[in-house]
Amino acid sequence: MLIRSSKQVSRWRRPRRFPVPPASGTSPASRIEQGKTWPEPQGATRVRHLRIFRYDPESGNNPRVDTFAIDRDKCGPMLLDALIKIKNEIDPTFAFRRSCREGICGSCAMNIDGTNWLACIRALDEMNEPATVYPLNNMDVVKDLVGDQAHLFAQLHSIKPWLRTRTPAPANSERLQSPEERAKLDGDYECILCFCCTSGCPSHWWNGDRFLGPAVLLQAHRWLVDSRDEATDERLDELEDPFKLYRCHTILNCTRTCPKGLNPGKKIAEIKLMIQQRRS
Amino acid sequence: MSDWNREDPLDRNPPGGRASPLRRAIGLGSSGSGAHHWWLQRVTAVALVPLSIWLVASLIAHARDGQQDLLAWLGRPAVAVTMAALWVILFWHMKLGLRVIVEDYVHADRMKFAILIVVDLVSLALMAIGVFTNLYLALH
Repeated sequence: MLIRSSKQVSRWRRPRRFPVPPASGTSPASRIEQGKTWPEPQGATRVRHLRIFRYDPESGNNPRVDTFAIDRDKCGPMLLDALIKIKNEIDPTFAFRRSCREGICGSCAMNIDGTNWLACIRALDEMNEPATVYPLNNMDVVKDLVGDQAHLFAQLHSIKPWLRTRTPAPANSERLQSPEERAKLDGDYECILCFCCTSGCPSHWWNGDRFLGPAVLLQAHRWLVDSRDEATDERLDELEDPFKLYRCHTILNCTRTCPKGLNPGKKIAEIKLMIQQRRS
Repeated sequence: MSDWNREDPLDRNPPGGRASPLRRAIGLGSSGSGAHHWWLQRVTAVALVPLSIWLVASLIAHARDGQQDLLAWLGRPAVAVTMAALWVILFWHMKLGLRVIVEDYVHADRMKFAILIVVDLVSLALMAIGVFTNLYLALH
């Protein structure tokens, strides 16, 4: 089945635990342990259980999975509401990123029931019971659900994601674009850089130091198709590399996981076609 | 996985170093290649579709032939040329594909270079053996 959008539901059951079982060949110090089970809420009729990854690298303790119980009648509808409730009322040492709570800032990306998604747009009622919440994989954990994104943003920086021009700007106006030219950015500009896709990409797991990853390649595509940009040649030169671009083997985890419903896999294929176009 | 700073032969960014994340992300820069490999892999894949169907169909058709009939069939020019093309394209495709697998999974550079040399030489050897055997049978 060719995956075109994250709205598609796979016909096959996917493994629930993602990416690996807690103790398969990992060093003892990074083995995930059974954590604390926090008390059930008093007098609740609808209780949701969340199994949440907890880790503080500075503590010297192993990562653990804590079980929290949430009273659905005293909590908002989304996973992020539950996380905020946990931090406010149950365990103030719990760490996660969040900002806009409406799927536009990309801060609260995490691995929810085995799939990377934004906590603010994942309804509690859509989740497993108990639900599992892990940080995005393939990032060093700073604390609990907070992963270190320094390398990912450095990769974004490395493709120079800004307008590069040779013609001076018009004296009395902006650089203009026709509606058709603007429409070419659809499917690219909506990306919020939550890195759900890059974190779910096996090519990026194995070769993340060199492969740019779907999020960054989507941004590269965004500048390649922008009618105002005048550095397509340089951009393609910079991308044409067995690792930076061609490590993408069209696995399409990126498209399957994108919480914004974008299709990074297709855009990467379009970059490859652009390079082929100029070669023949 | 804090493999971002794994060792490379030039030891540009040793673990524990203070290089900026951007320096690590840029690495050694773009090699300006890869497109040729990507294209050839597709060309050989497309060529292999009819060739492998032809091979399987021919083998089924000649399943009951004796040795003499089979050698006579292999000796036909069209068959000999198609078989030779099959060997070349098949092992070329294998060479390209194995290279990708090695690059994906082997991260120690010295080991990777060694394995890539072996992969290339073995593929070329298999290609030569296939073509030679085929022509030998066809011409004898």
